[in-house]
Amino acid sequence: MTAAERAIKWSYMDHWRSNGPAGPIDQWHSVRTMSAFLKQIKAVGFDAIDTFDFRIWQMYGDYGCPAKYQEMVQDHGLERIVNTFHAADYDVRNYAPHIPQTHENILEDFRVTMGRWSEIQLDNIIVMPATLYYDMEPITEDKLKYTAECWNKVGEITAGYGVRLTCHHEFFCGIQSEPDIETFYSYTDPEYVALFVDTAQHCIAGIDPVALYRRHAQRVSGFHFKDTRHVATGDDHRHRPDSEIMAPTTGKWFYEMGTSEGLVDFRAMMTAVRDNGYTGWISVEHDKANKEGGDYSESTAISRWYAKNVLEEIYR
Amino acid sequence: MAWTKWSYMDHWVTETPQGPQPPSFNRAYMDRYVKQLSALGFTGFDTFFFYLPLYAGMYGSVPGFERFLQDNGFEKITGIFSAYPSATRYTAPHVRETHDRIVADCTNTLRMCEGLTGVENFIVMPTSTYYQTEPVTDDTIRVVADLWNRVGKLTLEHGMRTTCHFEFWGAIRTRPQLELFFESTDPEYVYFFCDTAQHTIAGVDPIQLFRDYRDRCTGFHFKDTKNVDEHEAYRTPPDPELMAPQVKRWFYEMGEGGLVDFPALMKEIVASGYDGWLTVEHDKAELGGGSYAEATAVAKWYIDNVLARAEAEARSELEAAR
Amino acid sequence: MKDSLRWAYALNQWNVRLDVFVRHEDQQRALKTVSACGFDTIELASGTGRWDNISRPEVILLNHGSHQGFLDFLRRANVQGVSSMFWDPQAPAEEEEGYAFRSTANPADADAIVEWSKPLVDFVAGVGAEQLVVRPVGSAWMTPPLDADGIKRIADVWNRVGERTSAAGIGLALHYDCLGAVHTEEEVDALLEATDPATVGFALDTAELTVGGIDPVAFYRSHSDRVTHVHLKDTRYADTGEEYRMPGAESTMLKGGAGRRIERWFFELGTDGGLVDVKGFVAALRENGYRGWVVVESDHGGNPAELAMLNSWYLQHELGIAK
Repeated sequence: MTAAERAIKWSYMDHWRSNGPAGPIDQWHSVRTMSAFLKQIKAVGFDAIDTFDFRIWQMYGDYGCPAKYQEMVQDHGLERIVNTFHAADYDVRNYAPHIPQTHENILEDFRVTMGRWSEIQLDNIIVMPATLYYDMEPITEDKLKYTAECWNKVGEITAGYGVRLTCHHEFFCGIQSEPDIETFYSYTDPEYVALFVDTAQHCIAGIDPVALYRRHAQRVSGFHFKDTRHVATGDDHRHRPDSEIMAPTTGKWFYEMGTSEGLVDFRAMMTAVRDNGYTGWISVEHDKANKEGGDYSESTAISRWYAKNVLEEIYR
Repeated sequence: MAWTKWSYMDHWVTETPQGPQPPSFNRAYMDRYVKQLSALGFTGFDTFFFYLPLYAGMYGSVPGFERFLQDNGFEKITGIFSAYPSATRYTAPHVRETHDRIVADCTNTLRMCEGLTGVENFIVMPTSTYYQTEPVTDDTIRVVADLWNRVGKLTLEHGMRTTCHFEFWGAIRTRPQLELFFESTDPEYVYFFCDTAQHTIAGVDPIQLFRDYRDRCTGFHFKDTKNVDEHEAYRTPPDPELMAPQVKRWFYEMGEGGLVDFPALMKEIVASGYDGWLTVEHDKAELGGGSYAEATAVAKWYIDNVLARAEAEARSELEAAR
Repeated sequence: MKDSLRWAYALNQWNVRLDVFVRHEDQQRALKTVSACGFDTIELASGTGRWDNISRPEVILLNHGSHQGFLDFLRRANVQGVSSMFWDPQAPAEEEEGYAFRSTANPADADAIVEWSKPLVDFVAGVGAEQLVVRPVGSAWMTPPLDADGIKRIADVWNRVGERTSAAGIGLALHYDCLGAVHTEEEVDALLEATDPATVGFALDTAELTVGGIDPVAFYRSHSDRVTHVHLKDTRYADTGEEYRMPGAESTMLKGGAGRRIERWFFELGTDGGLVDVKGFVAALRENGYRGWVVVESDHGGNPAELAMLNSWYLQHELGIAK
């Protein structure tokens, strides 16, 4: 089956470390390390990559511009950059979706961001739809409504560039519980605001990602397929200053799919994807795979092995 | 006056262009390893018998290596560890027919130690793995005891005491087995080397063991564990330490939330009048993303801060009692 | 890999030191990595003792019960089989052979070496692999210079082992390495001349030959009838002439202990400043209708998964081979 005949293509999300002479470095360290990274991603069978949007500065500085960087990606045999993750510095003083006074600032940020990325065609711009949990709580219906209004407007802006605005719910962001997620989406316009299902993040927050997906399949515009071995307990989700790194439950929240002892039911997930006739991209991610003796190269190979030998048997 | 005789048991892995390797990779790496231990303040060095030829190669001779240690603040090579963890048809402590070969090996090792300042301990693993030795009967233990009586007499002629270090996966592991072994060996020739983690894993209290065998104790491995073996991991062939299904990592540096009560042991040691070396060990510290350099630094911090306090308390209690 | 050439991957780059490649789940991860890179066949490298449980035949069988048990273990990761196993009779097998130091150059050791080939021959045949790949002689710095008689003695040992491998239906391939006492092209020719072409082949390692000062492409073209096995890897350096004779060359030369202090000699395909004409070599294999295995390897070089993936990219992108 050629790439054109496949229903699902696989993209790799921008997390990487390799061993440099001066310690661990990411792939943006130099053109050489970027080339080594892209080769490895292509070699194991990914079709494309996703990036964080703050990488745009290095794309300008080291490669000329996003289009030139994308050419390098394509020279290595990958298709393109599919999605970008807009990792904003949320701040209740000037950039907080649940605070209407900050909305104009947010909208202007997106106008500028979309302008910068417009020289290439992205599918999605992915956002964490709320500030960190401890900056938003208590989570009220009003706050969810204001947040939804914000993203409705942002979604209109991005739609003008042919890019979907899509929401990715970290276990430590303000909108992470099942009731809050449902309420939030009820206030959004499905034409402008999509859902991006991160299997591990939902699992950690105690939500069944498969059930969540099935309920909202029509507005899901993409996925992070990653695994976890832990559900958050107690105050994990609101641990200052950084839940992901410092929450007491575990030092390592995320694992590549196909890890032993993982909690995500990927077979069910893939079945649901098939049942709902989703076609397009699935993004694979394993943030901080190098913790506790792990390594990115290996995790990436394992995740592709799993996609090919397990998931593609269900749907491709 | 804090305890100064701390030695380090030679386990180390470091990054090289060929991946993580032991520092015997080449002379430059070996130098750097010694310097790191020196910086932390270790003054004794214990090593494995099979490393001696490597060090001789790198430093010209084993005494040449010891001189390098001494240039870096070490007093001397304090102990040599000799073992047959895996029984073969050539060497197996529980098989009498192989004893001559084992004694010959020990003789070779002693020869390699000629010209050194004064190695104190000839540390041995008294048996091979449990699963290769079982059934472990009283006779098994006596055969093993005979071997080490023989070796102990030999090493004493070279100024070293043969001292027994019991792995949790060895054939002699329970209190009754240990007692029979000590009874069957000559106290003039065969001594006791207390590895705190190994005994703890096997369900034996190392502090009580030290109390009961104080007169035969010539040293310690201060190392920690987070697990008692509750699944008969000790019988896992072919390698219980590495391949136990329930436990990926058995050993940890001191002070990282393990089971051994080091301050209590320290006090016991001070009270007993023991004045030999105390040895730090943390095998396979690289598992789960660890690093030997950091583990060793953390262990030394624990010694300098926590154990020093325990030691001071014990000494003042002794003073008060006088 | 989908190709007329048969591609395999060597596992030795994961076994970086004594006791780290032992837990089955760690080995499964390496196998899945190899599989995800497009290789469904592996080459093993024999060792010694309980920690070489994906290396030494007796220990593999102890871990998996039988040849089929081991193949099942590989297949869990979708690796289908074993192409070959590498064996160095000069490397003391501590546990199985009592740490005997032997050399094919020493006539007194010949019988023992031939006898000790048995578990390896049995294993290679038992798992359906095709080649026993061997180090024909120990390091040059350890032995007196070889004369014609010396080379003949070495050849005799391999002829005898060749009878056994032939009877078991597998091949025997002598693997040149840059430290070996059979070092120059003349010496290699003499060794090949003295061995039986029907049973003894040559394992051509592109990087080892290059380091040893022999052009692998030219050598292959002039010896294609005897080359029955290939190791494809790269190097950035060639021996300046006599470095292989430094005492302790395994450490002083290959680990940078002395001399030019080069701490890593072998590299993945496509490495910066690589000396091997990989494309030329693979083209030569194709032109000559080479039918043996091409084993991609990188020895110890840092992150094993990374090396495998870079090698895989090279095959796909630079050699145009589909996964």
